[in-house]
Amino acid sequence: MQRILIVDDEGDVRDSIKSVLDLAGYTVRTAENAADALDQLERMPIDVVITDIIMPKMNGVQAIESIRKAFPRVRIVAISGGGNFGLAAYQPTAITTNAYLASAEKAGAHLVLTKPFEAEDLIEAVEKLLGVGHA
Amino acid sequence: MVRLRTSFATYVTVCVVAVHIVLLPALFFGMGYVIRKSHEDLFVEHARTFARVLAEEFEVSVALESRQRTEDLLDLAVLHGEARYAELFDGGVGTRSRLGSPDIAVPRHSDLGFGQGGDDIYYIVLPIVHAGHSAELRLGFDELPTQDRIHLAFGRMLWLLAGYLSVAIGIAIILSHRLSRPIRRLQDVSRAIASGDYAQVLNVSTGIRELHDLAVDLEAMRHELVGVNHRLQAKIKEKEQSEARREELQRQLRHRQRLETVGTLASGIAHEINNVLVPIILFTSTVLKDASLASGSRAYLERVLGAARRAKDVVRKILTFSRQLDEAKLTLIDLRVVTMEGLNLFSALAPPSIEIRTQISEAIPLVKADATLALHLMMNLCTNAYQAMEGADGVLTIGLRNSEQAGSDTGTPSRVELWVSDTGHGMDADTVERIFEPFFTTRSVGQGTGLGLSVVHGIVESFGGSITVETKIGAGSTFRVFFPAVRQANSVGDLMVPGG
Repeated sequence: MQRILIVDDEGDVRDSIKSVLDLAGYTVRTAENAADALDQLERMPIDVVITDIIMPKMNGVQAIESIRKAFPRVRIVAISGGGNFGLAAYQPTAITTNAYLASAEKAGAHLVLTKPFEAEDLIEAVEKLLGVGHA
Repeated sequence: MVRLRTSFATYVTVCVVAVHIVLLPALFFGMGYVIRKSHEDLFVEHARTFARVLAEEFEVSVALESRQRTEDLLDLAVLHGEARYAELFDGGVGTRSRLGSPDIAVPRHSDLGFGQGGDDIYYIVLPIVHAGHSAELRLGFDELPTQDRIHLAFGRMLWLLAGYLSVAIGIAIILSHRLSRPIRRLQDVSRAIASGDYAQVLNVSTGIRELHDLAVDLEAMRHELVGVNHRLQAKIKEKEQSEARREELQRQLRHRQRLETVGTLASGIAHEINNVLVPIILFTSTVLKDASLASGSRAYLERVLGAARRAKDVVRKILTFSRQLDEAKLTLIDLRVVTMEGLNLFSALAPPSIEIRTQISEAIPLVKADATLALHLMMNLCTNAYQAMEGADGVLTIGLRNSEQAGSDTGTPSRVELWVSDTGHGMDADTVERIFEPFFTTRSVGQGTGLGLSVVHGIVESFGGSITVETKIGAGSTFRVFFPAVRQANSVGDLMVPGG
């Protein structure tokens, strides 16, 4: 059973992603913030973490770093609103078309999705990270 | 003014006169006494000497022997001695000169003083001893000539003193006038200074040290006041200028802040909207996966999804634009090339009702800019101009020229000016204030996002340039974009400059 953990401070975002993944047959858990996410990761095996980068309390990039350090086998999808607004804390040192993506990738995310994404994009990303199509 | 001059001169004159009124009489009487005394003494001396000589003559000669000889001698006294009476008493017998005045009474006492006795005669009585017996010689000298001489001397002295007084008064008047002139000048300048006129230079030349020092000090004071005045005025002007500059800068800052705020707001809103779009798209997708959905509901939900995707697109455009600015690559470009390219593009798109004119200068220095964004900018300006003239014939002018700044020889760089002019409906003051705001538009709903000019503004800012607008309702508008020019193109290569 492939377990997926969704981390986002917005309930609607969590639940809508969950609805897509539920329909596709995955076991889905949700967490409100990075601390809660790490807690759940301790308690049960998770295959993929889908996390927002911009969140209050611990920010998403730090969360990604922590997860990677603590749970190196977990695959991570970073999702972001895509505005420069949210990245005030991260000064891009180089000009890339997706500066925010760069920080997420640097932190250890395997894939990045920009909000709002289609349901198909989401499924495709998860399947890619799991290596095979879901049985 | 006149009163002052009179009073000072009069004062001095009156003082001089007063002093002399006191001194001159004293002088007069003093000198008069001296004159009178010396004349009297001379007279008396003369009279006594004569009398003594005559007495001696009587004593040594034999005149006494003879009455005739006695009379002759006595006549001598009258003739040569200015005597009016000469008599010799010898043994009770008096021999008198007949040449003297007969009506003179003979005094009994002798040697009265000059001027005494009330008869203008100076009597001398001398004893004579001759041949054993004594006689008495009596002479009466005429005082009148001496008195006349005294009066004459007095007269002369009077004239002298009068002349002296006149000269003294004259000198007093002249001196006081000469004194009052520098004083008056000092007063004039003082008055001028007191009433705020610092322009009159004090140039008083006077021999009097105090006045000269006063004039020097006053001039120094005036000079100081002039200096102070100038400094104050310069300071006030400086203050006004810096005040005006500060107000202008504040106004620009407020404008810039407003734009930034709106820009930041737009970016922030975009982010929030992206977040909100996630559940809209995903939930709707999930529901649409339900095969049992009624076709009507399916149709509606598909339209919801479509609308959500369009929203996503709009937001993407906003974010793309602001990212573009951040990532602009500044290189040395020739704006003529960009302008020609823009012209080609635009004339292909523009309707025939728009006449396109150009005023492109030959020699334009290179500017540091992003070619793509510069083209984008130009197209936006042309589009804006075209939209202002929509529905009517109009003229669109595109110009490019080297715009010298004032005092460009002081090192301030020259600029290249790109301008786009239209003969459209123009804008009122309130509109002009806001045209560069994102989402601000005067067009009706659905006819434009109002992003065009805010894009232009953002691009201009990223080049370090500036943009101005001239407009008149009913006549049209002109947008001028100023690019900082590069003086020498010695390093021709890409200049990677971090944006933002």
